[in-house]
Amino acid sequence: MKADDAKSDHLSCSEDLAFLRLLQLADTALPIGALAHSFGLESLVAAEILTAGKLPEFLHGYLQEAGMLEAVACREASQLARPQVESFPAARWIEINDYLSALKPARESRTASAVLGRNFLQATLLLGDFPVLRAAREASLRSASLIHHSTAFGLVSATFGFDESRAVLAYLHQMAASLVSACQRLLPVGQNEATGILWNLKPAIIETADRGATCSLDEASCFMPLLDWGAMEHPALATRLFIS
Amino acid sequence: MTATARVALREIERGIPGASRVRASMRLEFSRDSSTDDTFLAESLQEPPLKVVRAFTLPDGAALVHLHNVSGGLLGGDQLALQVNLGSATGVQLTTTGATRIYRCREEFSPTTQSNVIFVGEDSLLEYLPDAIIPFAGSHYVQRTSIDLSADAGLFWWEIVAPGREARGELFEYRHFEMRTRVAALGRKIAAENICLRPADWNVGSLARLGAYRHSATFYICHVGRDARYWRAAEDHVRGLTSSLSRPGEILWGVSSLVAHGLVVRCLARNGRNILPGLQTIWCGAKLHLYGCEAILPRKVN
Repeated sequence: MKADDAKSDHLSCSEDLAFLRLLQLADTALPIGALAHSFGLESLVAAEILTAGKLPEFLHGYLQEAGMLEAVACREASQLARPQVESFPAARWIEINDYLSALKPARESRTASAVLGRNFLQATLLLGDFPVLRAAREASLRSASLIHHSTAFGLVSATFGFDESRAVLAYLHQMAASLVSACQRLLPVGQNEATGILWNLKPAIIETADRGATCSLDEASCFMPLLDWGAMEHPALATRLFIS
Repeated sequence: MTATARVALREIERGIPGASRVRASMRLEFSRDSSTDDTFLAESLQEPPLKVVRAFTLPDGAALVHLHNVSGGLLGGDQLALQVNLGSATGVQLTTTGATRIYRCREEFSPTTQSNVIFVGEDSLLEYLPDAIIPFAGSHYVQRTSIDLSADAGLFWWEIVAPGREARGELFEYRHFEMRTRVAALGRKIAAENICLRPADWNVGSLARLGAYRHSATFYICHVGRDARYWRAAEDHVRGLTSSLSRPGEILWGVSSLVAHGLVVRCLARNGRNILPGLQTIWCGAKLHLYGCEAILPRKVN
């Protein structure tokens, strides 16, 4: 891809328009299938490990571990589509996604992340002609590599000219909102309580994004063995509300 | 010290301040004896305190090697490197003679570092079956492991991490525990783990991490070349084992297919007693399923 093509990917839009677009893409109601996944939470609830009372503490830890990793991946992917990047570095795109796949031990959660990533990229490709996004999708298809939600979000955000840090915050916010939404269906968590939980998570989201800004993907750590167990055991649950 | 081991150690050393105490490496090269088909230790480079006495031939022709650390544990400032190369069509079983104790790291010393660089050649099988790692109070440990699997290579690799010296009531009192593991098959990463625990900063017992459990273990089961459908079936088979071993509140076992070429088993336990027997049960069942032969439990020596 030539420099001119890459530059043409970046929509010239006002800050307000960019803000509204970011709001839409980071909305959990975006029809990419996010509401169908609990990423292992359903098993933890079924095993009576996760309760409504413990949810805020759990989400804080989740952001510190998985949130940090996804924030770094989102940021690294967004850097592949910066205006100053002359040609799309497909090999690095594949490398980031493959590494993220390797870091996700539970099949269902890994697949869920990849389904959301693929659907997200597909949905944005329908919004116009974006050579970088097409190149990314084609490179992933060619190498049979998964496209994760965080990396797709980062790449799309940079292509649309969103501020990198804002995009990471928005990604983390929708991630937290999706989990809270899943817990509303799994646990006795009412609408007001859910609103309060997500409201109170915002400082932790900002802290996670800040930490992620100074960390490379290779350094980003994630230790969530209990949730890994939940996600691994999810296929064996007798009754399931969620795909993962 | 071998070139590869040096590179791996340098990678760890980057950005780690403080004095180092010991720099030692061990390189083990295994080959196949064409006359007997047995695997033998073709080359062994050892620097104290790392020691291998000899390789024992197992009934299936594989070589069993006990990894010793004659200093009794890893001290602050120790910088150790292990490089293991399996030639084509070899079988190797590596084990330890006891738990790996990570001692307190004095402030003036650099972290205790261990680098493992593993290459498994074509049609070979490595079984790495160590005892637990026990990070003592005040310890600072950094481990890097890189495993490369060739075509038709197999791997059984587990690691167990204890919370400290439980009998003394010492739980999560270590300063820093870091473990980076990469498993690649045919040059492509199939599994990776980045753990960084600093109990003083973040609660290791948080529900998002270990919850009420204290010990954790990870077990990689790989065989390069089998397709995704095979691994889904293998996952179901091993889930039969893990389900029978799980006792909620005491010990949890889970299994999943990796992105390709293998499975990963996770364990969380309230106490460490049942982890090793559980891993052995899964190893025996998986080996029979994958290779159609019995696992041979490693003979321990002291």
